[in-house]
Amino acid sequence: MTEAAGHTKHSHSDTDAAHLAPTRSAIDAAVRPAVVGLFFSGLIWLLLSTLFGAVLAVKLHFPEFLNWSFLTFGRLAPASESAFVYGWCSTACLGVVVWMVARLSGRAAPGTSLISLGALLWNGGVLIGVCSILLGNLRPFNGLEFPLASFVLMFAGLCLISTWLAVTYRSEQGPGLGLMFVVGGVAWLGWSLFTGNLLIVSQSVTGVVQQVTASWLASGVLWLWIVPVVLGIAYYLVPKVTGRPVFSGPMGRALFWMYFLSAGLISAARLSGGPIPLWLVSVSASASILLLVPVLGSVYNLLATARGAEVTSTSPSMNFVLFGVTVLGVSSVLLAISALRSVDYAVHFTLFDFGVRALLLRGSATMVLFGAIYYIMPRLSGCEWLSSSLISLHFLGSAYGACMAAAMLLLSGLASGSALVDGESTFSQVIELGSSYFWGHTLSFVLLLGGYFLFALHFLLMAARIGQPAGEPTLLQSHNEH
Amino acid sequence: MSRSGFFFPGLLACFAVSFGITVYAPHSQIGALLPSFKDEEGLITDVYPVAQGGNAASGREVYISQGCQACHSQVVRGSESADIDRGWGSRRTVARDYIFEAPPVLGFSRIGPDLTNVGSETWRNEPETDTLRPDKRDRAWQLKHLYYPKAVVKGSNMPSYAYLFEERKISGHPSSDALVLPAHLAPKAGYEIVPSSDAKALVAYLASLNRSSPLKEAGAIAALAPVKK
Repeated sequence: MTEAAGHTKHSHSDTDAAHLAPTRSAIDAAVRPAVVGLFFSGLIWLLLSTLFGAVLAVKLHFPEFLNWSFLTFGRLAPASESAFVYGWCSTACLGVVVWMVARLSGRAAPGTSLISLGALLWNGGVLIGVCSILLGNLRPFNGLEFPLASFVLMFAGLCLISTWLAVTYRSEQGPGLGLMFVVGGVAWLGWSLFTGNLLIVSQSVTGVVQQVTASWLASGVLWLWIVPVVLGIAYYLVPKVTGRPVFSGPMGRALFWMYFLSAGLISAARLSGGPIPLWLVSVSASASILLLVPVLGSVYNLLATARGAEVTSTSPSMNFVLFGVTVLGVSSVLLAISALRSVDYAVHFTLFDFGVRALLLRGSATMVLFGAIYYIMPRLSGCEWLSSSLISLHFLGSAYGACMAAAMLLLSGLASGSALVDGESTFSQVIELGSSYFWGHTLSFVLLLGGYFLFALHFLLMAARIGQPAGEPTLLQSHNEH
Repeated sequence: MSRSGFFFPGLLACFAVSFGITVYAPHSQIGALLPSFKDEEGLITDVYPVAQGGNAASGREVYISQGCQACHSQVVRGSESADIDRGWGSRRTVARDYIFEAPPVLGFSRIGPDLTNVGSETWRNEPETDTLRPDKRDRAWQLKHLYYPKAVVKGSNMPSYAYLFEERKISGHPSSDALVLPAHLAPKAGYEIVPSSDAKALVAYLASLNRSSPLKEAGAIAALAPVKK
C-alpha cells in the first residue's frame, strides 16, 4: 500500500490525477500537524472511553465497584459513550476528512492553523462535556448528554474546520463517491448540531418533542455523520489500494441518495413504544428496513471492488476497512430486525440496542478509521509502520474484542427481552437472565484495551517518525493470518 | 445542472425531508397539548397533569444529575408489551403526560424497573408469594433502598447511593430522618445516618411520580386489547 501500489492503475474520478503527484507531498506537509493532532486527540478519547467502558462492564456484575459519585453508573455510562462518539469517532473522522478533501481537491488552502484551532475547540468542548457529565451536569437525552456549552464550543470548532474545507474543496467534474459521502457527513453534522440544539435550548419544542428532537440529532450523529464518513473512507481507499475502479459508480451514487434519504428518517425508532405518534414509529421502522438497500448495496459495491485483488489480504488498511464495512452490513441487518414491531417489544429497553451500537461503533466505524489511519500516517510521516506483528495483534484485539462485546450485549438483550415480554416472569428473573453474559462482556474489554493500547503505541512511534524506511510498505505476512 | 451543482441542494433537500417528517410534523401534532380537565358548569376539576413544584421539582434535578435515566425508563407501553401486566402502570403513557417536563426523562434502558408510576400505591404488584415483596414502599423504604439497595431488595443490581447520606454524631435526640438499618450496616454507637437534602428531594420526586390519571387518548389505545390481570 505504498503510493506506488496505490496510485498506478486506478481510473476513478475520486483519485488525484498523476500530474498532481508532486503536489501530494506538499499537501501532506501542509495538513500534517492538524491531522496528526486530530488523530492523537481521538486516540486519547478512545483509550479513556474504553477504560470507562471496562469499569462499567465490571459494575454490571459488582454494582459497588468504584462507587464514588463521579463514577456512578448513570454518569459514567453517558460519559463513556459521548467520549467515544464525539471524542474518538468524530475527531478521527475530522482528521480523515481534512486529509481526503485536500488530497481529492488537489490542493490545501493556506491557514491550516484554522483546522488546529478548530480541533482545539472541538476537543475543549468534549473535555468540558465529559467532566460536566461526571460532575452531574448532564441532560437526560440519550446520546446528547453534554451540556450546551460543550456543543457551542464543538460547533465553533466545526465551523472553523468547515471553513477551511470549503475554501479547499474543488471538484470540477462533480464529487466522486468518497468525497460525496464525507462532505455529506460534515454538512449534516453542522446543520443538525445547530438546528437540534437551538430548538431544544430555545424551548421552541417542548415536552416529548424535545426527546424526539434530541433523538433525531443523536441518531444523525451516528448514521449521517460517522457512517457516511466510514463509507466515504471505504469508497476512497478500496479503489486506491487495490488499484481498481469502483465496481459500479452509478449504483454507488444512486445508493448515496437513497442512504441519505432513508437514514434521515430512522431516528424515532429509538423512542418506539413511547409517547410519540404511532405513524412516526412506523415511518422510522420502515426507514430502518429501507436502509438495508443502500447499506448492503454499498457494502456489496465495495467488497466486489476489492474481491480477488492481491493486496486485499496483505494490506493492513484493507483488512481493517473491509472488516469494518462487512460489520456495517451486519449492524444494519440487526437494526432492521430490531425495528420489527414484535422484536422491538421484546428487545427495546434491553441491552440489545447497546449491542447494535457497540457493533456499529467499535466493530465498524472504529475499524474503518484504524484502516484510514494505517493508510494516511505513512504519507504524513514519510516512513512506514514499524512492525507488522503489532498491526496483526491490534487487528485481533480490536476485531475480536468488538465482536465479543457486541455479541454478549446482543445475547443478553435477547435473553432478558424474551422474559420481559412475558408478564408472568418477575423483573428480577428478567435481570438474572440477561446477566449471564456479563462475564464475556467484561472479558472483551481486555481484548479491546490491549488492541487499542498497542495501536496507540504504534501511532506515537509513527508520529515521531520512528518506523521502517519509506518505499517498502509494511504488509501483513500471511494471507490466512486472520 | 451539472452533477456538482446538484450535490449541495440535493443534500439540503434530504435534510429538509428528515427534519420535516421526524421533527416538525410531530411538533405540530403533539407540540402544544394542554392539560385535560372536567368542566362542570364552569367549575374546572380533575386537571391533569399539573406542573411539579417544591421538593419534587428539585428531586427531578437530582434524578437527572445522578443519571438514574441510564437504568430506569419512565414509559409504560401499551398492552402489546407486558408493562401493564408487570404493574408498572394501568395504561400506556402518552405525550400529554409529559407536557410540563422540560425535558421528560423517558430513559432508554431497563437495567432497573420502569418508574413512571413509582409513586402510586399499586406500583409493581409482585406476586404475594414473592419473598422480596415489600409491605409498603413508603418514604423510609425508599431512603433505605437508596442508601443500600441490597438491604431491602435481595440480589439488587442497583449501586448504593450512600454518598447522598451523612453519618453524623447524635447530639441530643436522634433525628426523625435517621435510617433504621440492620446490624451489619448500622453506624457505630452514638452515630446516625441521615439523608442529605438531595436524597430527601429525590425521594419526594419518586413519591410524586404517578401518571395513572385516565386520559382519553391513552384509554382508546389500551382498549384495543384486553388487559391481562
